[in-house]
Amino acid sequence: MSRMWLVAASALLSVSAFAQAPGPWAQPAAALSEQVAGILGPGQANFAIRNLSTIPSDQIPAIQALLEQDLKAHGVRTSGAESANTIRVTLSENPRERLWVAEVTQGNETRVTMVQVDAGAPSAWTEAKSGLMLRREIVIETKQPIVTALEMGNALIAVEPEEIVIRSRSADGWQEAKRFRMARTRAPARDPRGESLVDATGNGFEAFVGGMECDGSVAAGAASAQVTCHESDDPWPIAQIDQTGGGSVAAFYNASRNYFTGVVTPAIGVDLPPFYSAAVFFRPAGAALLIDGIDGKVQLVDAGTVKNVIGTRDWGSDFAVLHSGCGAGAQVIASGSGEAVSDSLRAYELPASEAIPASAPLAMDGSVTALWSAPDGKSVYASVRHASGEYEVDRVTALCN
Amino acid sequence: MLRRCATSLVSSWFRNPPVRPGAPGLPALETGEAAKLRSIGILLLIAFLALSAHARTRPHYGGTLRVEIAGDPWQRPGGTARRLVLDGLTRADASGSAQPALAVEWNSENQEHRWQFKLRPGVHFHDGSPLTSIAVVASLNTACPSNCPWSAMHAVGGSVIFTGDEPMPNLPELLAGDEYLIALTMTSEGTPQQGVIGTGPFLVSGFANGVLALAANENCWAGRPFADSIEIRTHRAVRDQWLDLGVGRADLVEVPPEQMRQAQQQRLAVQASPPVTLLGLQIAETGSLESPLLRQSMALAIDRSALSNVIFQKQGEVTASLLPAKMTGYSFLFPAERDLSKAQQLRGGITPPPLVLAAPGDGTMQLAAQRIALNLREAGFNVQVASGATQHADLTLIEFALDSNQPQAALESIARRAGIALPAAGPSDMALFQSEREILNRETLIPLLYLPKAYAVSGRVRDLDLKPDGSPDLADASLLDSSRGDAP
Repeated sequence: MSRMWLVAASALLSVSAFAQAPGPWAQPAAALSEQVAGILGPGQANFAIRNLSTIPSDQIPAIQALLEQDLKAHGVRTSGAESANTIRVTLSENPRERLWVAEVTQGNETRVTMVQVDAGAPSAWTEAKSGLMLRREIVIETKQPIVTALEMGNALIAVEPEEIVIRSRSADGWQEAKRFRMARTRAPARDPRGESLVDATGNGFEAFVGGMECDGSVAAGAASAQVTCHESDDPWPIAQIDQTGGGSVAAFYNASRNYFTGVVTPAIGVDLPPFYSAAVFFRPAGAALLIDGIDGKVQLVDAGTVKNVIGTRDWGSDFAVLHSGCGAGAQVIASGSGEAVSDSLRAYELPASEAIPASAPLAMDGSVTALWSAPDGKSVYASVRHASGEYEVDRVTALCN
Repeated sequence: MLRRCATSLVSSWFRNPPVRPGAPGLPALETGEAAKLRSIGILLLIAFLALSAHARTRPHYGGTLRVEIAGDPWQRPGGTARRLVLDGLTRADASGSAQPALAVEWNSENQEHRWQFKLRPGVHFHDGSPLTSIAVVASLNTACPSNCPWSAMHAVGGSVIFTGDEPMPNLPELLAGDEYLIALTMTSEGTPQQGVIGTGPFLVSGFANGVLALAANENCWAGRPFADSIEIRTHRAVRDQWLDLGVGRADLVEVPPEQMRQAQQQRLAVQASPPVTLLGLQIAETGSLESPLLRQSMALAIDRSALSNVIFQKQGEVTASLLPAKMTGYSFLFPAERDLSKAQQLRGGITPPPLVLAAPGDGTMQLAAQRIALNLREAGFNVQVASGATQHADLTLIEFALDSNQPQAALESIARRAGIALPAAGPSDMALFQSEREILNRETLIPLLYLPKAYAVSGRVRDLDLKPDGSPDLADASLLDSSRGDAP
């Protein structure tokens, strides 16, 4: 009786494994089986499979079942223990793709064949696990660094250190429509930074990249976009201090370095140190300017004083304000300070001079090189550099728990 | 242009009378107990500041990066100073693909027999002279007098045109290699250039007492580097480099593969590359070793595992393929196990006359050569080790730098340096495998180990990445600025 149960359970497991066979493996299994059958011809063969790849081991039985089934369809039976023929399949991979290799031995001769298997796209988004939940989705992937980007209707303005790329929305995502090269006479800095914003008319945009200022319009569509750029040392608008958009603070940027000099206009009554990032943070008691000094100190300019913010030891050099509507209504999204290959983003609330975590860290697929708020403040964007040297721009939003 | 300033509104938000710092001064403390309390207080304050104030920030500008090396900074390939001072027409990204450098774009015609590389406008050499196509051609002619990937090269306006008798599918990737970096070869007066002048992020500012001084190139086309200057102390023994790192006299020192474990035991902050150096044995196919069976016998006689475990302290990746396992995914198809009985069988009782095995470089290479000679003697070959390069060596232990992560370009580069004509390799993995197998079937180059490059760095160094060839990317590294209180 118990033996019957065992057999039934095994059969069930086997069927279950096969039923769960992931779709992506069917095509390469068929292609490899066809090539092996082409070498071996109809007959029997010993079959072995090993996994040197990152495919989870629980998927190997399903892949083996697919291969054996496809081989059988080509007249190759893999049950021949007494056969002199051997098929050894190795599931391997390289940085570009997965590689399935078959070594087919007939007598003293071994022949090799292989198929390339698409490794599959990385997961589009991940979620934090507790508290306010951060979620990210990939907006675009590029080979060039994106220092800032702006979504305007069906156009996306992606600002690179030396070019502005206008993309148009399509069913397959954002497709490049036009590219404008800035006529730079000075080389961009090694740590390029930028800023973009919708202009006063609402139809155009302004973009600032170290030493350059660009104005453009996508009112007539991405394909008809117009952009003009000129060299400029004018200050960059860094923060709107009125939630209705009534005024802004601008800061002078050191174009040959990677930070703001600390001089802002109009003057705000206190001397600021040089800083990397700044954002206005609205609280019930009023607005405060948050800055990240080049000495690593995060400070709050509030009621004419500059106060150190504690609890920011885990902050990196970038932050942006997110008006999530959750909790206190707005949170600071800060990049992580770790030296690890991949950064993380985390939401913080600032009820006073202490940053209090409001979400779990959200892992990113590389290091965060820029972080900025969307014009409506309801999402923040992160430019992420992969270990491969390529980039992506992610949109980060929050879900209230 | 600032268009939406609202001065009065801003003032009302931020301009309030500043609050006077109100902490009263500490009363004078005279007793020992009070002094102890004050010490504790100061320590607590320091600890608090350390915990609260230091976030990781963007890279800082400024400072002098102190580097120590055992070799020559200009040695080819891979000298530390070369990529700091010189640029290539292209550069390799992390995946090995060619990216624009001194050339901004390129295209091929006539089935990759002809390539045109358009130069980046506005680039100047460190002496102020403009980068021209004539200067590029002169530099490449000097760097590659023969056995080049191209047959001919011409300067045409702002472009350099390469033509080849064979297709050159990997040319953009090959031009990113160390051997094709662009240097100024002639002065404005038409005389040969004496010093090294390039377009790179650093320029040579002096050389004295074994220290090469480099200064930041403020006008570098790729942006000014973060460090103001770099001092490279040359010909420094590894042991002395580590001592200097320990006492704060160096920021970056070398860690040979065989000493990586020791460095970790000494708690040095080690940064290691993936395997980037192929250690191979080149066998002359003339004279007594004309028979491929004898050469195959030698390949089977070498105990790669012992070489890795004993000489390189388990830091080498045993390989019988020319490209590393992680790059191709198929290297297991080339068995690396020793098979002494088959080696003896293939030798077939033939005992060739005494053979000379040349091993250039330091003591480790000599030890490796001795180990290989021992293995070969066990298989019936009479092998003597000669130190340094020997013109009439039958066997030569060679290091091949893997300066591209693009497999076709990497294979072509290794084959070219080994003087082996490369069979045409298509873009697929199968075609690459077949091309590599064809090279190895000649039994003139025996891959042995893949070795990493490693460096130990001081706590001052930030954002140090290693390039695809394993060299440190010092132009993008920065230093912590202790004056601003962000030292570790």
